[in-house]
Amino acid sequence: MSGRVGAALAPLAGSLLAVAAAFIACGLFLEARGKHALAAYRFLADRGLTSFGVTEALIEMAPLLLVSAGLLIALKAGVWNIGIDGQFLVGALAVGVAAPALPGLPAAVVIAVSFAAGFAGGLLWAVVPALLRVRFGLNEIITTIMMNYVAINLTSWLVKGPVKDPSVVPPQTKQIPYGDMLPNIPGTQVHIGLLVGLAAVLLVAALYRFTTLGFRFWVLGQNRRAALHAGMPVARLTVIALLLSGGFAGLAGANDVLGVKGLFQGEWNPAYGFTGFALVFLARLSSLWVLPFAYLFAFLGFGGELMARAANIPVYFVQLLEGLMLAFLAVAIAVERAVVAPRRQRSAATVPAAVEPVALHPEEQP
Amino acid sequence: MSEAQLQAFLATLLGTGLIAAVPLTLAALGETFAELAGLLNLGIEGMMLSGAFFGFAAALATGSLAVGLAAGIGAGLILGLGFGLLTITLRVNQILVGLAITIVGLGLTGFLFQDSYGQQFPRLSVHVPEIAIPLLRRIPILGPGLFAQQILVYVTFALVAIAGVVLTRTRFGLEVRAAGENPFAADAAGVSVARTRYLAIALGGALAGLAGAFLSVADLQFFNPGMTVGQGFIAIALAMLGRWRPARVLAGAVLFGVLESLSTGLQILGVAVRPEFVNMLPYVGIMVALVVLAGRAMLPAALAVPYERGERTG
Repeated sequence: MSGRVGAALAPLAGSLLAVAAAFIACGLFLEARGKHALAAYRFLADRGLTSFGVTEALIEMAPLLLVSAGLLIALKAGVWNIGIDGQFLVGALAVGVAAPALPGLPAAVVIAVSFAAGFAGGLLWAVVPALLRVRFGLNEIITTIMMNYVAINLTSWLVKGPVKDPSVVPPQTKQIPYGDMLPNIPGTQVHIGLLVGLAAVLLVAALYRFTTLGFRFWVLGQNRRAALHAGMPVARLTVIALLLSGGFAGLAGANDVLGVKGLFQGEWNPAYGFTGFALVFLARLSSLWVLPFAYLFAFLGFGGELMARAANIPVYFVQLLEGLMLAFLAVAIAVERAVVAPRRQRSAATVPAAVEPVALHPEEQP
Repeated sequence: MSEAQLQAFLATLLGTGLIAAVPLTLAALGETFAELAGLLNLGIEGMMLSGAFFGFAAALATGSLAVGLAAGIGAGLILGLGFGLLTITLRVNQILVGLAITIVGLGLTGFLFQDSYGQQFPRLSVHVPEIAIPLLRRIPILGPGLFAQQILVYVTFALVAIAGVVLTRTRFGLEVRAAGENPFAADAAGVSVARTRYLAIALGGALAGLAGAFLSVADLQFFNPGMTVGQGFIAIALAMLGRWRPARVLAGAVLFGVLESLSTGLQILGVAVRPEFVNMLPYVGIMVALVVLAGRAMLPAALAVPYERGERTG
């Protein structure tokens, strides 16, 4: 590989090597535990290549794309939104309450209003960490995590009490009428949430490529101090990045309630946050590469459950695999920095800013 | 409400609050050293879970409290050194590495638990010695909670005191602060920043592992995948909240522990309140406390910034 092409592809090669290393390490681990790793992987691949497997993976891809879109906005701007799970739950509950409360309206209107409610719910849940960050200089890493646990308890409390469907015993919201759920993409068994997810990722790509706001986010993510010196409204940009990020996480909640579940259930928490993190880091914060990695993770999430049942492998296997991918990615980043960067003076294309060290100081003035 | 009821309520609040505070204090104490040295360890949750699982498995196999706790410490230590390798030597972003360790911890311990014990949920029957201090234990309300507790509560108190002395009165304590506040100056003064940071994260990992093992071996005597439910992250907040002073970290942990045991306490009082509502309080409380107590510009200057000799990035 020569010159620019090689340098541009080096990070992707690092990510792919990290994925491969994680599969190998997990395979050795399975063998050490007396399981048949190759048989398990073959099962995963066989099932994944059936039309049923592809359909299921595409359906599970939708929330991952939406979560990734949210993470891309925040991380590229150097804002650490670790509150995806909380924002997702609040968005999902907002849809669970809003959608059944709109009887008699055309399905398209119900769906549009529901997505808006999900976006608003997720956005709302990011308001507190955003304000704490810019008003009190409290780092968003801790506050967004705390808000996750508040959301888990709050939504669980609401769905057992105030917003519970009184006509049934289990804690859940009213069933959304079938006609108001997301329709399938014509000719497939995949609901249109996938298109919403793809649109969201494209929107983020366009935001960063073509708009002033995106450029400012990018500068903020590259060098907060430079953004400040250039006279950019750093505090406001930070707030916008975090709120938009939360909004997209809320959309993922809307997608799951409207497209799959049909209601909000107590104790339900798919916890896409960690998966989303592993995914966007492996994609090296590139909107384009998020697409194949989202498919891979959706496939693993769904295939892992099948494999768990068929090969007697605990379903936690998938989480272990994802965690190891991220750990090996850390090694790959270090190797890349040692091998590739000195040769071409570190460019923004090879090393995304947010993966580089970030100082945690809120150095902007109030 | 009768006076006896109120006394029982307060005694329960303090007693269970202190027990809940032990793992938080241990983990936050370790995180205090790590943060002071310039390392933000988001892997603490995974380290606690690993300590909890391997401590549980070792105690189940041997029936020994000490072996269980030692296994927990060992598991945390190994992950701590892994964190050090990736962030100190290889200088990869600490948040990325921390999250990776937490995800691995969740997946690995969940996998091993289900694979080893299936749906049995075995319980330990490990003897945990209690120490009751004569006379003092008879003080109303405070007595039973403070002076008739299991041995690890006192060990935790002792560790807090030792950590306080180490951080303020010893050369190592000074080096830890220097490595986090101004690694360039520390290096110029002959302190090995890398070595200091490794020691700090080893301590952080070991204490996180001990915290997890306390939960599964000494306190609850069972393991459940994901049983730490965010206590590792709370420990990070507690370390910041205590401004890295061990005594204040302990105070914050006890306050948090008391808030956590509020729902049990309220049941004794016969107050009907939804547990989910009470369970939100500690997390809200942490954020409020951070706003009130923690001001701007209080983080160690080089927190989360890798150090490379001869490199000055401003």
